[in-house]
Amino acid sequence: MNNVNAIIYVVDDDVSVCRSLGLLLKSHGFKVETFTSAAEFLAFKHPKVLSCLISDIRLPNINGLALQEIMAERGIITPIVFITGYGNIPMSVKAIKAGAIDFLSKPFTSKQLLNAITLALSKAKVLNKKQAEVAKIKQLINALSPRELEVFHFVAQGLMNKQIASRRGTSLQTIKIHRGRVMQKMQVKTVTELIHLAQKVGIASSSD
Amino acid sequence: MKKPLLKKISRISQEEQIRLLTKDLNIIKKQLKRGVNREKIAKEKFRGEVSQGVDREQQGADREKLGAGREKIAEELSRLQSDEIVLKDGQLREGVDREKLAEEQIHIRTKAMESTFDGIFIIDALKPDFRIIYANPSFYALTGFTKKEVIGKNYFLLYGNTENSLLVKEIKQTLLQGKIFQGEMLHHKKNGEKFWSLLRITLVRDKDGTITHYVGNKTDMTLMKQRNLEIEVQREELLHVTRVGKLAEFVSSLAHEISQPLTAILSYAQAAQRMYAGREPQLQEILQYIINDDQRAAEVIRRLRYLLKKTKPSFEQLDINVLINDTITLMMPHITAKNKVIKFEPSANLPSVQGDRIQLQQVLLNLISNSLEAMELNDDARDLLIKTSFKDADTLLVEVKDSGCGVPEENMKKLFGHFFTNKPDGLGMGLSISRSIVEAHGGLLEAKNNTDRGATFYFTLPIILKNDNEQC
Repeated sequence: MNNVNAIIYVVDDDVSVCRSLGLLLKSHGFKVETFTSAAEFLAFKHPKVLSCLISDIRLPNINGLALQEIMAERGIITPIVFITGYGNIPMSVKAIKAGAIDFLSKPFTSKQLLNAITLALSKAKVLNKKQAEVAKIKQLINALSPRELEVFHFVAQGLMNKQIASRRGTSLQTIKIHRGRVMQKMQVKTVTELIHLAQKVGIASSSD
Repeated sequence: MKKPLLKKISRISQEEQIRLLTKDLNIIKKQLKRGVNREKIAKEKFRGEVSQGVDREQQGADREKLGAGREKIAEELSRLQSDEIVLKDGQLREGVDREKLAEEQIHIRTKAMESTFDGIFIIDALKPDFRIIYANPSFYALTGFTKKEVIGKNYFLLYGNTENSLLVKEIKQTLLQGKIFQGEMLHHKKNGEKFWSLLRITLVRDKDGTITHYVGNKTDMTLMKQRNLEIEVQREELLHVTRVGKLAEFVSSLAHEISQPLTAILSYAQAAQRMYAGREPQLQEILQYIINDDQRAAEVIRRLRYLLKKTKPSFEQLDINVLINDTITLMMPHITAKNKVIKFEPSANLPSVQGDRIQLQQVLLNLISNSLEAMELNDDARDLLIKTSFKDADTLLVEVKDSGCGVPEENMKKLFGHFFTNKPDGLGMGLSISRSIVEAHGGLLEAKNNTDRGATFYFTLPIILKNDNEQC
């Protein structure tokens, strides 16, 4: 696993915990950024590299769970490993349900932490890949003309050429030409592939 | 018969009063011609007083004295009337009017006496045997005795023989000394059933100051006592839990506090080990000792936590709105005493939460009393608002909003820390305990200053999903 470029963010209001975890993770070859509050972390400009967040649950002002929510809202795909001195089950259930990788009780060993980080980074990779894919598809969609986009939507909904033609009030031939262009621009060879792409960006389900 | 007349007089204008009084005086004059000595004396007295009154009235001074004079005239007048002196036509009509008014007043007073919840009784004080000459229906209902068993009987016989002899003696003594008696006591009903009542006996004197009657007033305190007892029991229970809880909480918070540096030490040592990997074997060994001992300490904490978990509270399904209402009831005397107003805005249809009743109540008590204290210094800060709502689909929110002095920004961070307090006699445990309790329930407790004034402390609680097969 090549994680050398990954950044590990550490958020803990205890300066000593921050510093020690920073040193420990650096000693394992990670790039580390530490913050003593959630706000500080959120203000940080995240470079587009693989990352994961080690965060205390109990933080002043914005606590760990709230931070998790904010990150989800902003679409920050950095998996979170929670660390806590209090560790209780309901809270950890909530955190894990919301997508946290793990919930470590303080004090934890470097082995426990590294295992969690490995897990988090591999999840981050998957998420990144997905995001990149979606970004690419969106880019392709942006290149479609308004008319092509319309046809794309119809196809994604599973309409036949004939149906599309009658809806748009144009000839079947015109639709066929549009669809051919859509396939070409979206870089796919079959309709199945096209519908697949639509699903990935959440278009297929729309029906109007 | 006396007062109503007086009342009428005081309601009409000054001139009218004077006119009436003069008229009355004329009546008296006529009546006096009948040669009743007592009336003659009265006449003289009143004439003097009325003319005096008229003088003063003209000067517009000392209205009270005038009133006193009028009152005496009214008294005497009504006495004359009650002597059934036949008046001439015009005078007769006036007398009938007054009598009607007086009758109406007496009727209202009698009804009031009969409809009040308090048991009222009147004792003839001129006879030595404390004979009851009147008792209202509530008195019979309260004591279980019938009219036959009460009227004309010695009041103190109703107390039974021995059990209350000391009390009876005390009451008698007080009354005979011409003092008002007041006391809470356990009374017996006719059937032996005991009930708590507040007994007050006041004295009625005649003109010469002789005590003619004792008027007793018995208020049933049973319900109030019972309620107070319940509240007392609950308070005791809370106190006990608080004491035990404080220790547990203290240990638990200590564990948390210590786990922070232990985490740091462990990470420092492991980082150093890693950095010196393959070098300095002795340093490696020392670092390993540090790691081992750190973990030993961590183990102690884990075991402590485990121990505390065993004494963990009993969780049950709770309606948070009911719990808040109960807590407010518990705090009500306190709130009223501080001249504050508490308002509760419960959200309807809140699902139940899983929790420990007493612990959550402790949190609420703590937040409410903190708010009260924050509002203590300014008298115009009176409103305390408690609100429940949905934070989201599976979380509910409880807010305690005060209009007090708020929290200085620099204290916001430290607020929930242990031993942080700005009260001279505070331990600094309340909020930190409250926060731990809320967290143990899977929620979060936080604070913010309001935009207008005061602060809001709020906590969340996870909503439990209904499981039809399993009743917790």
